[in-house]
Amino acid sequence: MSTLKPWIKRLNPLVESLMAGLIGLVIGALIMLAFGYNPIAAYISLFSGSFGSVYSWAESLANATPLILTAMTFAIAMRGGLFNIGAEGQLYIGALAAVAVSLIDLPFPLNAVAALGAAIVAGMLWSLPVALLKLTRGVHEVISTIMLNWIAHFFAFYLIANVLTDPKRGEKTISIIESARLARILPGTSLNYGLVIALIAVAAILFLLWRTSAGFEMRASGYNQEATHYAGISLRKQVLRVFLIGGAIAGLAGAVQVMGRPPTYAVMSGLPQLMNLGFDGIGVAMIGRNHPVGIVFAAIFFGGLMVGGRIMQFSPGVPLELVRVVEGVIIITLAIPELRRLFTFFLAKFKRGA
Amino acid sequence: MTDQMGISPPPTARSEILLEARGISKGFPGVWEHLILEHIDFDVRAGEVHTLLGENGAGKTVIANILSGYYGKTDGEILVKGQPVTLESPRDGLAHGIAMVHQELMLVPAFTVAENVMVGLNAPGLSFRKQAVEQQLDDLVAHYGLQVDPRVRVEDLSAGEQQRVEILKVLFHQPEVLLLDEPTSLLTPQEADQLFKVLRAMTDEGKGIVFISHKMHEVFAVSDRVTVLKLGKARGTMPISQTNEDDLTRKTFGETVPDYMERPAVEFTENAIEVDRLIPKGLEKKAPASGLSFALHKGEILGLAGVAGNGQSELIASITGLSGVSSGTVTILGEEMTNRTPRAFIEKGVAHIPERRREMGIIEQMFVAENVALKDYRKTPFSRHTILNREEITRHAEEIVSRFNALVPDLWETECRILSGGNIQRLILGRETWREPPVIIASHPTEGLDAKAIRHTWELFLALRAKGSAILLISEDLDEVMSLSDRIGVIFEGGIVGVVEGENANREQLGHWMAGGKISAAA
Amino acid sequence: MELAHIWGILFISLHAMVPITLAAIGETIEESAGLFNIGLEGILLLGALAGAIGAEASGSATMGLMAGIATGGLIGLLFGVLSTTLRGSQLITGVGINMFALGFVALMLTLLGAPGFHSVPRAVQVPLIPLGIGNLSPMVLVTVFLAVVVWWVLRRTQLGLWIRAVGENPAAADVAGLRVNTLRLGTAIAAGMLAGLAGAYLSVDWFGAVTKEITAGRGFIALATVVFSGLNPLLALLGGFIFGLFEGLATWISTYPAIKKIIPWQFVAMAPYIITLLVVAGAIGRVRFPKGLGVPYLRE
Repeated sequence: MSTLKPWIKRLNPLVESLMAGLIGLVIGALIMLAFGYNPIAAYISLFSGSFGSVYSWAESLANATPLILTAMTFAIAMRGGLFNIGAEGQLYIGALAAVAVSLIDLPFPLNAVAALGAAIVAGMLWSLPVALLKLTRGVHEVISTIMLNWIAHFFAFYLIANVLTDPKRGEKTISIIESARLARILPGTSLNYGLVIALIAVAAILFLLWRTSAGFEMRASGYNQEATHYAGISLRKQVLRVFLIGGAIAGLAGAVQVMGRPPTYAVMSGLPQLMNLGFDGIGVAMIGRNHPVGIVFAAIFFGGLMVGGRIMQFSPGVPLELVRVVEGVIIITLAIPELRRLFTFFLAKFKRGA
Repeated sequence: MTDQMGISPPPTARSEILLEARGISKGFPGVWEHLILEHIDFDVRAGEVHTLLGENGAGKTVIANILSGYYGKTDGEILVKGQPVTLESPRDGLAHGIAMVHQELMLVPAFTVAENVMVGLNAPGLSFRKQAVEQQLDDLVAHYGLQVDPRVRVEDLSAGEQQRVEILKVLFHQPEVLLLDEPTSLLTPQEADQLFKVLRAMTDEGKGIVFISHKMHEVFAVSDRVTVLKLGKARGTMPISQTNEDDLTRKTFGETVPDYMERPAVEFTENAIEVDRLIPKGLEKKAPASGLSFALHKGEILGLAGVAGNGQSELIASITGLSGVSSGTVTILGEEMTNRTPRAFIEKGVAHIPERRREMGIIEQMFVAENVALKDYRKTPFSRHTILNREEITRHAEEIVSRFNALVPDLWETECRILSGGNIQRLILGRETWREPPVIIASHPTEGLDAKAIRHTWELFLALRAKGSAILLISEDLDEVMSLSDRIGVIFEGGIVGVVEGENANREQLGHWMAGGKISAAA
Repeated sequence: MELAHIWGILFISLHAMVPITLAAIGETIEESAGLFNIGLEGILLLGALAGAIGAEASGSATMGLMAGIATGGLIGLLFGVLSTTLRGSQLITGVGINMFALGFVALMLTLLGAPGFHSVPRAVQVPLIPLGIGNLSPMVLVTVFLAVVVWWVLRRTQLGLWIRAVGENPAAADVAGLRVNTLRLGTAIAAGMLAGLAGAYLSVDWFGAVTKEITAGRGFIALATVVFSGLNPLLALLGGFIFGLFEGLATWISTYPAIKKIIPWQFVAMAPYIITLLVVAGAIGRVRFPKGLGVPYLRE
């Protein structure tokens, strides 16, 4: 009993995430019913499209790859008590930095390493103003990250149209040179070694947060600033750490997405393959309860929804956007602390009433 | 000076019972086995001060909260002038003429005094009677001699003045019964005496007052009757004239703690802390131009007495690095440390047992082992090259937990938030003292502990003193300061007004200093 | 620059001021009470959709605006319940609302037949007031009026005092007999209604269309305006106008071929966001926010 209890307690977050996922899917079903779709057919199509075959698994994992990374950007900030919703912009900048490296002719593997490194540095640089504005002027990170996301959005448009433009095709940037591309794990699918890079990042963050003094300090500052200051830990340093590490990972997400995803290996104008990956990462982090391991599973779930959503769009014709509605509902549900207890409370009331 | 207050008016047994509680119980929702109040009978009559006396956690505040309508009760009956009433909100209480002054200041600092009063008005939402309220307050101020300007922002007032605003707030509603929960904790002895005069003026008008305290001399200064409360149960009600201090102390606290802890005489030579003409940040307006100066020697316990809010927390912050110094110097073990970081003070060997344990002393969401290592995680053997060594941290936490008798279910499963205040304090004491640090800053180290734990803590401090630690003991509890200190200093408005040998100290002299009296007057 | 251009920029600025100021004064009400809702962007978006649908279904622009208000109030209620009674994280709820709105509006636009864009017929748009020098939306006047009303309620009434007390020191408000969570819930609904109105204005009045990018970060610029204004609705009017002015300038520049050659349009489009960042960075320090902002209240 005494050894079992803590284990059950540890499973609470998992139970809550499953509950929230279920609530999200139920509300999605209600919306589909309201518009005359058959939700059961839609969900069968959705989940067989995402996890029904080796091919769909590979596509789901490929879609999960950047989400794992952007989710960790958000999760690290949450662990450090900060609300970083800037992964979106940092990801754009990271992707373009990786592309820019292809302007220089470098031998393999130097070119791939340089592209990844450039993206990481670019992401950190794009994140730095957030930390500095917070530390020097007290600007709330929600406002500064959103503004920087919009600035990145238009800056990316500018770079695609004017600087990194493909001389042959004006609607995209130059492509990553072939030798610097991330190889496919499964031929004929989008799944590439970006996933391995993401998993290495997961392991690194896991180690950082719970096995190093830096992680100890970041977590402490996230829980209680007054006590952290009292313990002789610099709070300002944690703000810098959180945003720089977060920016690095988001930049890496952009690089992995552009270096690993066939067929173009370039950034298209309008940013179709990058758009919303940063925001979706917030949802992934929430479902993964801001834990690197949880994030991996949540990202696969989300990646699956994205792949399956496209299948669902053809038959039974439910628009892809439903997936994001479900995501929104899941996040709102997970904002409630102790969701599980609330549920059992209502259950008890219901039983008493019946 | 309190003698004249001690002469009570004739017993009020014949006057009307204004407010009565019959068999009141309070338990946590659904858990009947754990009652924090058990069948309390209590009443207050017109024209009397009825004191509720008890230790921390005895349930005094809970009774007042129930009688004012703030808390619901689990069982029992409340009667106003003999009629049963239902109180579901403080507004219901006010409607029946019952008002409460809470122990903590319940004010909006950004509002003026009048606006703070208006928060409690039961007026139409789109009305705004600010001017009328200000004029009414002027009248009240004049009537009771509570000098406060209703048009001033509360944040610009001193703690004592803010306490007066709290009294004004309830008087505005012209209550018949006033519940005052430890109203003197922010007052100097003089201000407290003034308050007692105001209370007398109210009882003369036929109001009934419930006064909550754990300070014996106040109880005798102000009460007509006293009810002793222990662990949620009433231990008898008696007229103050039929009891004495020893009797009440035994009833209230049970085991007593010694008046003075014997210790070997030591010659103090080396300085551990030197504070010279210090004005901490935030005290620039209040502190005297000469600032605050004192020295604490190795192997010495220096008690620092004073009313809360006289610069204690700012002083502690500047000698632990928590916040900055405006002018003056802080020297620790011969090295000037003015305006250094908390980390630098910790490395220098300054341990700090903070007053706000749950908020500052620990991180509630982290595990016990992590909290025990909160200041040591970055040192070998607990981490090497920034990589934590969990085995070492566990071993160390086990040792601290067993040495300080903390009751902890598991080091890596138990979050500190579920621990009791006493167990948290044991962990903090262990974490701060296990290295036998050269300097210890202890703020209210035994507040809320039982007599046995208090004695253990005091013995720990004496043992550390014997090993050469210098201890600065900050406390509002004069008994503790007097029992433990080699020397006692008194802090008033950011300056030290007097210092005396611990053995020769007496309450009267310290009280005089605490009110800002000069040394010459006391000598 | 000709006079007509100046009038043109002024009118664009005033029209751009409306949604930012409306959302900002709503947010001012709830931040005064201690709630911090970063879901404004989502409420604007849902309001825009509801406004368009409402106006077309009823054939009346006013009904469209009402539909926006109702939708906003509903989301405000959701946010309020989550962040008071259920003690949820306000930031996360806000992000969830934004995400939900983005998906829901895109979904509805698809279901309405034209993915990504839906235009509102001229006949059910808010009629403009012709002033000779240009056409002014009556919503500009409504916005000024509402800003004054909200200022009056917050600063000069008992209700405003209660709202601010709940934000500054919920415990003190509680012992004074105020119902903290009920008051906060009320401000959340009011704020939602104002943001919903702002959203409906975008579709039924200013742009005459709904797209999923129609809000373009205005909800967040409104948050920044609240910071700039220091919770003063009258200053939110000024802040909204300043942000509107930059939007007006940007629009004007983008139509000028000569300037377009020197400054790429992308940089012009960036300007409002950069200005917002700079203004907020400059404003903070003198601004004082309620002590209880963003923290759920739980009686000890």
